[in-house]
Amino acid sequence: MGFLYPGALVFFALVPALVLAYLARERPSRVTVSSVLAFRALRGFRRERFGGWPRLDWMFFAEVFILSLVAFAMAGPFIWKKTAPLAVVIDNSAAMQALTAADKSRFDVAREKLDAALSAEDGGGEISVYVTAPQPRRVAPPFDTLTEARLALSRIKPTDAPNDQTTLENFLGNLASEARVAKVIFAGANALAAPVPERIHPIAVGDTVANAAIGSFSLRREVLGAEALHASLSIANFSPETRTLELVVTGDGKEIAHAKETLGARETATLEFPAIPPARIYEAKLAPDDALALDNVAYATAGSVKNVSILFISPTPADAAGLNSIPGVEVTAQSPDSYSPGDLGNFDLAIFEYATPKELPGVNTMLVMPPPGDPVFGLTVTPDSKARIAGWRTTDPLTDSVNFRLLNLRGGEYFGTHPWMSQVVGGDGGALVLKGERAAHRFVATGFNPFPYLGRRNLPMSVLTLNAISYLAGLGASSSGYRTGQPWLVPAGVERVILPSGRKIAAHPGTLFTAVSEQGVYELVGPGGAKTPRAVNLADLTESDLSNSPPLKVEAANSGSAAEPVMEKSSLSDYILAVIIALTALEALIVYRRRRIVEAAAP
Amino acid sequence: MFGLPDEFTPGLLARLERLRIRTRQRYPGLGRGMHLSPKRGSSLEFNDFRHYSPGDDFRYIDWGLYGRSDKLYIKLFQEEEDLLTYIFVDASASMAYPAGDRKFESAILTALALAYVALASGDRVMLRVLGGKGGKVDPSFVNGRHRIVELARRLANLRPGGQFDFATSLATELLAIRRAGKVFIVSDFLMLLKSVTRGLGMFTAASMDLTAVQILGGRELNGQGLDGDVEVVDSESGERLRVSIGDRERTQYRETMMRLTREIKSFCLERGLHYALYTTDHDFQNFFVRAVSDLGLAH
Repeated sequence: MGFLYPGALVFFALVPALVLAYLARERPSRVTVSSVLAFRALRGFRRERFGGWPRLDWMFFAEVFILSLVAFAMAGPFIWKKTAPLAVVIDNSAAMQALTAADKSRFDVAREKLDAALSAEDGGGEISVYVTAPQPRRVAPPFDTLTEARLALSRIKPTDAPNDQTTLENFLGNLASEARVAKVIFAGANALAAPVPERIHPIAVGDTVANAAIGSFSLRREVLGAEALHASLSIANFSPETRTLELVVTGDGKEIAHAKETLGARETATLEFPAIPPARIYEAKLAPDDALALDNVAYATAGSVKNVSILFISPTPADAAGLNSIPGVEVTAQSPDSYSPGDLGNFDLAIFEYATPKELPGVNTMLVMPPPGDPVFGLTVTPDSKARIAGWRTTDPLTDSVNFRLLNLRGGEYFGTHPWMSQVVGGDGGALVLKGERAAHRFVATGFNPFPYLGRRNLPMSVLTLNAISYLAGLGASSSGYRTGQPWLVPAGVERVILPSGRKIAAHPGTLFTAVSEQGVYELVGPGGAKTPRAVNLADLTESDLSNSPPLKVEAANSGSAAEPVMEKSSLSDYILAVIIALTALEALIVYRRRRIVEAAAP
Repeated sequence: MFGLPDEFTPGLLARLERLRIRTRQRYPGLGRGMHLSPKRGSSLEFNDFRHYSPGDDFRYIDWGLYGRSDKLYIKLFQEEEDLLTYIFVDASASMAYPAGDRKFESAILTALALAYVALASGDRVMLRVLGGKGGKVDPSFVNGRHRIVELARRLANLRPGGQFDFATSLATELLAIRRAGKVFIVSDFLMLLKSVTRGLGMFTAASMDLTAVQILGGRELNGQGLDGDVEVVDSESGERLRVSIGDRERTQYRETMMRLTREIKSFCLERGLHYALYTTDHDFQNFFVRAVSDLGLAH
């Protein structure tokens, strides 16, 4: 037996203090009587009583006992108990949704086997229940009984997220090394590679299942301002024979693309649809149906290829008029005096014309003829009324399709050598266009102003400007989209998120959104109820490969040691508290009844 | 009413007027009254004959006897005189405790009631106080019922206090009063039985007709108000005792008190004395009416 807070034992000093107080209170009262004749016979009683003077009634002893118990409970007494804590890990990844030959899902089979394994346990210690996807975690505080653990298991459902195999291996290894865990029962699709740690008892439910899957579904706008989108889908055939797979793509419920592809055993293919019409939500379906329905469907949204919104900060906001004429571009002009960094939250990129920010912007930014002496970028500027282009990088996206020989600058400024921005276009006096990346954002600086010349009057200038905006907006790059189990940052202006299941979750911009275990279309709800769809897919062909689940390599620090009983502290405070409450209630009841009797006897 | 305690209602006074003091002996009085005196006198009650002597009143010559014996005899009659009534009130400190029991007030009520019975019967009353402090009570006989007010005023100024030895004190009193008569002693008699019996025994030896009226408090008799560890202090001797009082002890205390009163009563009855016990938690009028016989009174 021990004490968690032995210092609290000092409160036992209150007990003698209480006794002294009681003795002071109970000291004999002096009463003058007519004669002590009749009292003389009573003296014998006092001498006969155990302990003699003073009189201590049972209530006093009860109160001293209660006080002692309180002091005892405050010290946090505990006893060492020999237990065998059990850890139950059930694989709830997307692959566990696959149906087995018995027409049950892998997850249901795993749960049944776990239930049977738990029945064989003697229930000597607490039971912790863990799930593996999207990240390994305990579902609730440890349970004291097998019944509670079974109930918790029955409430778990498989997710649409894949397992992170490395994390799962480390988790199982740590669990098997944990001194407080005597035994780990793991039920999952993946077998454990030999040698299996002594404490882990694996239950494999990963029967080989033929499966076809959609790996990824991505959309991109090839050209700024173009309405049509380019769709790419990867599909795979994880069966031992050649199969012909049929893919249908719908946009807002209407079929917009269709393809058939014959794939050999364990073969993958990428299907391209270069010009699919605009729609809010795209859905791709793979036929025929198979054991895992989850990966036969994939979603994509046009929200990821929305118009580019630009914040244009300039002392001459009229220059933004030329940009506004570009299809797919939304420009908001603002003067440098009214600009604050918080304004960037609702824009994809910023353009500073004849101005520079006072701190590094949080979005991709273009600087047009920045004034000299700015402390943030540290650009060295040399104005030249006859500035002209002398050379450029031919392979850079900024210079793509730009005929520099026809580009007429009509004056500008040269940049000196910059520490983290490199020259893309240069002149005799230095660089005329710089680009670089800082703090995960792209930055472009030009020593001339292209905006007054946009349009047919100066076509090379227009192409250069479009290239710069495309580069800063990240267009043309392929994106794999959002995947189940991978949290994402809540975009600016979003107040809540509606999950594919219909559940609504409050969200705060800039924070990680972690409720991403469901595959489907999430609705991001902004101010005024404006909804932006966001597609989240499993998009993990490793998880979809149900015929070849790689074994988990689990290494435990004490893999050689057998499961041993664990000594566990068992607190006595709850029992003592119950005794205190019972004694206090009993005393209160007796005092109350005594009072009632006295009151009833009173005339 | 007229300086009397509130308990002396017209009804009680009327009842008291119907009572007479009863004595087991004849005591000479100081004047004519309603009690037969050992003296020969002029009452209607025949007593004896004696030879005629010159100067005797012719009216008392028994002429019938003269005719039969030819000798002159004078008829002698019993004298009827008033009764000398002595009322002793214990005003020692013990009569003041327990304070809520009003023992001393009850003792005064009893003494005044007895005095009124005597005065209303034409007897002489001498009120004597044992111990006490405050006003002095004139140790002289009073007669006439109107003097009850005077007695009440004298007693009203009296406060219980002091300590006295019962036997010694009564012996002193006995020497002072000289004439025999009816004696009432009103006290709590909470003293050693030996002292009580010695004191009362002296009065019986002096041919006094004695009635002992014991006044005890209701709370005093039952030991109420005492609980737990108590240091009891004797109001007269100052003796201190530490006692633990619970239900069991309280029962034993009450039994002891009852035993003390029984012993006094037994002594009185054995010696032919009257004894009455009044506990202050009872109605005074009821007590006085019901205990007429015990008090040595008669209708």
